[in-house]
Amino acid sequence: MTTGGPDAFAQVVSFLSFGAVAVALLFVWRQSLPGRLRLFTVQSVLLAGLAGAVASFTGKRELWLVALAVLGVKAWLVPRVLRRVAPALPRPTGRVPSPVGLLLGAGALIVVAYAVMLPVAAGSRLPTAGSLPLGLAVSLLGLLVCVSARRALTQILGFLVFENGVFMLALLATYGLPGVVEIGVFLDLLVAVLIATAVLGEIEVSFASTDVDRLRELRG
Amino acid sequence: VTLPVLLGCPLVGGLLLGLVRHAPVAAGLHLATAAATAVAVAVAGAPVWIAGATPAAPAWTLRLDALSALLAALIAGVQLLAAPAALDHLAAERGAGRLSPARAARFAPLFHLFVFTMLLAVTTDNVGVMWIAIEGTTLASVFLITLERSRASLEAGYKYLLICSVGIAVAFVGTVLVYHAGIRQFGETEHAFDWTRLVAIAPALAPRVLEVAFVFVLIGYGTKAGLVPMHTWLPDAHSEAPAPVSALMSGVLLAVGVYALLRFKTVVDLAAGPAFTGRLLLLLGLLSMLVAALSLWAPRSYKRMLAYSSVEHMGLACLGVAFGGFGGIGGALLHLVTHGLCKSALFVLAGRVLRRYGTAEVARVRGLRRVMPWTGAAFLAAILALLGLPPFGLFLSEFMILRAGFTGGHPWAAGAALALLVVAFGGTLRAVNRMLYGSPLEDDPAVERAPAALWPVAVSLVLLLGLGLGVPTGLADVLARAAAVVAPPGAGE
Repeated sequence: MTTGGPDAFAQVVSFLSFGAVAVALLFVWRQSLPGRLRLFTVQSVLLAGLAGAVASFTGKRELWLVALAVLGVKAWLVPRVLRRVAPALPRPTGRVPSPVGLLLGAGALIVVAYAVMLPVAAGSRLPTAGSLPLGLAVSLLGLLVCVSARRALTQILGFLVFENGVFMLALLATYGLPGVVEIGVFLDLLVAVLIATAVLGEIEVSFASTDVDRLRELRG
Repeated sequence: VTLPVLLGCPLVGGLLLGLVRHAPVAAGLHLATAAATAVAVAVAGAPVWIAGATPAAPAWTLRLDALSALLAALIAGVQLLAAPAALDHLAAERGAGRLSPARAARFAPLFHLFVFTMLLAVTTDNVGVMWIAIEGTTLASVFLITLERSRASLEAGYKYLLICSVGIAVAFVGTVLVYHAGIRQFGETEHAFDWTRLVAIAPALAPRVLEVAFVFVLIGYGTKAGLVPMHTWLPDAHSEAPAPVSALMSGVLLAVGVYALLRFKTVVDLAAGPAFTGRLLLLLGLLSMLVAALSLWAPRSYKRMLAYSSVEHMGLACLGVAFGGFGGIGGALLHLVTHGLCKSALFVLAGRVLRRYGTAEVARVRGLRRVMPWTGAAFLAAILALLGLPPFGLFLSEFMILRAGFTGGHPWAAGAALALLVVAFGGTLRAVNRMLYGSPLEDDPAVERAPAALWPVAVSLVLLLGLGLGVPTGLADVLARAAAVVAPPGAGE
């Protein structure tokens, strides 16, 4: 099943990709944890749409499953797990990086993403190639948050946005390679859950001696 | 047919161990699995090792060429040495009340799954599967690091998981870009992810795309290999993990990271020539050696000292690969083997020291030669081997690498590497000297009797000694063939 020509398809892809970058920029700027969680959810929905667009254009049925998996795992399950963990985590201590400095860094990273990816995009026949730098940009913005974060959960969120960028890049560069992308999504889930449980373990240890109420809250 | 069996040994053994609840049975099964894995690798590897058989076409994406066989043998050997040490370690930790039976029972299954993922990474022909297997090594080993659930080990495990997951995702981007380069030239095919096919089509691929891809792969798998500046997880993870796990991580996991880099270097070099990857490896190799040598000058903890020394040696191996030729690449591969044998023995010994003294601080270990005469003597011998002194194998591999540098047009890099080796030498020896001699801090230390548990360490020391006296012709042959896999003759240079 194919809808629209390559031009329309390329437009949809770049619209969704730019959307994902815009959300990533907001993600860098936004300081509140629930706000960032919501932005991650929105971005994941955009990516599911991207997978759906590639699926409908190429007619690869497996990609619809990938889109569904992204919706289920990244837009629903992971935010749900993180939201449950969030209240029990300690407040950040020390200096929080300024949003203005972060945004300047983000701008520089987008330039870097273009500089790195243009030789790859040039000369490629895929209609999705033009959006390749945007995938890398999303990754780098996520990495920026991951590196600059003061608290574990923000680090995890930054990592997840980084993963979204990698997913985007893989989708656009391979034009939808079902097997590997599917496995990638699956491993994403595994890693996210593992990190969350590793952090949970840490919290359990650090709160066991000091704050029992919070620990109970965590288990509830 | 033998390769699925080879992988089945640790996988089935590990899964069975997850079901067994009876401790003595589990201990026996643990050792049997380790032995079966070693035998399977020997049987599968023998044709490649001895007869130089050309590898059969991949079955289930599995393929064993000389390079794979070398790494598989190293993994099998080190896990065979670490397995009895692990039992020793678990028994001691349980005796000291630091480990509940339930947690101790988790160790063996994860240990063998960890070995399985590493073996899969080096025997698969499909770079996508290799990527999954290397991600698997992280997932399998993270709960081994946090086994004791101390605050420090949890933090180390978290850091390891986060940094290596980012790294592996970057490597995924590199892998996807190589695939992208393939399909834009030849369209989508079923085998576009097979390394053998990539090598075949590489000369026709867009060099700029592959160069970008290699940068991603280098950052990604370089994280797993512990190269500076992506090494920050390594000292924490290696010093907090239980000693037998550190032995596996330092001895072979890092080598698996280097192996993944080598596979991609081959493909990229065929398209873009060896200069580009060589320069990058040279840079990261020297940087790793520099940072490690400085950190080795005044190490606080001896386990961290061993960890930084691993960064140093992986840097040296990368230098060897960058120097190229048989001396450089063959030397680097031999160095992976000698370093793996030596470092795994050292971590096992460090684990014994830690149990005896209850501290990993260099300053609080005194009189090791008197308190633990056997462990102390073995520790000294292994450290001397690690520092590259002549009767041991590391001398030979370091010599090969440096000679390749001096004669192969990189005299400055080789000279710098030699200077950094000397710096590391001085720092390490000073710290070890403090630990071995002086009067013990306790008044009446119970002196260690001849410990039967030291035999695996003795075996690796004897092997190192044998390798130092001269590489047997069979091994030299395998090294030459493995080096030819990395840099196919008649392709550039």
